[in-house]
Amino acid sequence: MIALIKTEWLKIKKYPAFWWMLGIVALTYPGINAISFYGYTKATTGKELTNNIAKMLLGNPFAFPETWHSVAYFSSFFVLLPSILVIMMVTNEYTFRTHRQNIIDGWSRSEFITSKLFDVLIISVIVALVYLAVALFFGFYSDSTFANRWAEQLQYIPLFLLQTFAQLSIAFMLGYLIKKAFIALGVFLFYYLIVENIAVQYARFKMDDIGRFLPFEISDRLIPAPAFFSRFGKDAKASYDHSISIIPEHVVYSILLTGLIWLICYAVHKKRDL
Amino acid sequence: MQPVLSLSGLAKSYGKIQALKGVSFEVPEGAVFGILGPNGSGKTTLLSIILDILKADSGSFAWFGEPGSPATRKRIGSLLETPNFYHYLSAVDNLNITHAISGRGDKTDIDRVLEIVKLTERKRSRFSSYSLGMKQRLAIAAALLGDPQVLVFDEPTNGLDPVGIAEIRELIKELAGRGKTIIMASHLLDEVEKVCTHVAILKRGTLITAGSVDEVLANEDIVEIASADTATLLELVKGFPGYTHIKQDGNKVLLYFPIGTAKLAEVNRYCFEKGATLSHLYAKKKSLEAKFFELTNENTQNN
Repeated sequence: MIALIKTEWLKIKKYPAFWWMLGIVALTYPGINAISFYGYTKATTGKELTNNIAKMLLGNPFAFPETWHSVAYFSSFFVLLPSILVIMMVTNEYTFRTHRQNIIDGWSRSEFITSKLFDVLIISVIVALVYLAVALFFGFYSDSTFANRWAEQLQYIPLFLLQTFAQLSIAFMLGYLIKKAFIALGVFLFYYLIVENIAVQYARFKMDDIGRFLPFEISDRLIPAPAFFSRFGKDAKASYDHSISIIPEHVVYSILLTGLIWLICYAVHKKRDL
Repeated sequence: MQPVLSLSGLAKSYGKIQALKGVSFEVPEGAVFGILGPNGSGKTTLLSIILDILKADSGSFAWFGEPGSPATRKRIGSLLETPNFYHYLSAVDNLNITHAISGRGDKTDIDRVLEIVKLTERKRSRFSSYSLGMKQRLAIAAALLGDPQVLVFDEPTNGLDPVGIAEIRELIKELAGRGKTIIMASHLLDEVEKVCTHVAILKRGTLITAGSVDEVLANEDIVEIASADTATLLELVKGFPGYTHIKQDGNKVLLYFPIGTAKLAEVNRYCFEKGATLSHLYAKKKSLEAKFFELTNENTQNN
């Protein structure tokens, strides 16, 4: 196991795209949260009545413990970025034909998939660490009076990690099965950004919300829109409470789907001609 | 003695195309084993199967008497089809990965193999900046890493210049001299003839023949003679005992004998006694090329 990770590290550590993507993630995650934070501050500072109403309605989504939830939610839009990296890392093996060489040199076929599983896991952990740092920063920076509540709602850390890993696993499978970087990226972006969003919205109103069983939506529901989105009206509150209540269910679905994805990859790789 | 590699009835199809049709042979230890065949004859398919890149439809193979596994592959240095390396890494970094996966070699050995293939000066350059020949050299270096007992080379001189080709030929001879077993696929007959001890000839997925080079090549002795009057000479030698057939090739006459039975001195004396003075007398070994064409053409006719 350690040997597999070491070998993957030899591949990754001098791969420029890896560092570029890491840099972009390290800028984007704080960036999107800073924009949201700026919007929040602008709406709530000032002595106007509207400002106070806004503050009352929104609370402070960036203070502890809400920061864990809010930052996870905003950051999760950008799983797109590490997904590109994951797709590149698997399709590279095909482009360089090193997926064959690794086997020729003495890996078993399942060791190859395991090494990729570690890649996806490592990237997920890195992304989660960036999230952790950003959430901590905003927690202390936005309103330090709540700092003593930092230990509440920590479940969003593992939820964010699971969501990232689940969604990156889908990206991996697309790259693994399609083999061509640009086609895989195209399929991924088209499905992730367009198809599933439309299908989920359509299903929400017309088909009893069965859209929540679509591949990305299964794990999207791990981190529902934060509370302040739902402080307007009774229906919204009920729907927020519902979305919180189905998280445990979706943890199970996410784990099942992710497990299935990797099982498929192992099974295909065992059989197929390289 | 345990053969290094034995194949039994390997078959493989790509859709309707049968790339291998039940190929069986054995590679003895210490052999330089050439696998010959025209383009598309199944050489690379065969090597891919024994390296677990492709799955055979039927048949089996064994390395060192055991079924192929990651453990057996770690003992073999292989170059299959194309040099496969991470483009963004240098020669050294790529070989570090080869080492990490196979366990073959170490830091000093990486320098050794890069020196053998003359890449020392460029060892820190990215693979993507290499010429075709340098890429091929790196692939050979990767195969040599850790000085494995068995080497598999698929078209090892692809992309190399004439000097490079000669160097690789010398390298293979040197490795063979140290008792390594080398399995080499090639369509360059000349190359195989110069270095191989054994050959297997494939055509359209069928094994035509396999064995030691001497057995495969020289199943007959050829004596080539010439004199001032070719027509008379041809008539005259028809009386010579022991040959299997006679052929005229331009102004030369070719006498074919069963292997080991041609005696040049007797041919010479016979002709002289019959009044023909030979201007040319030569014992010819059939070239692999001629043999190759003969075998592969025979097969076409049989089809």
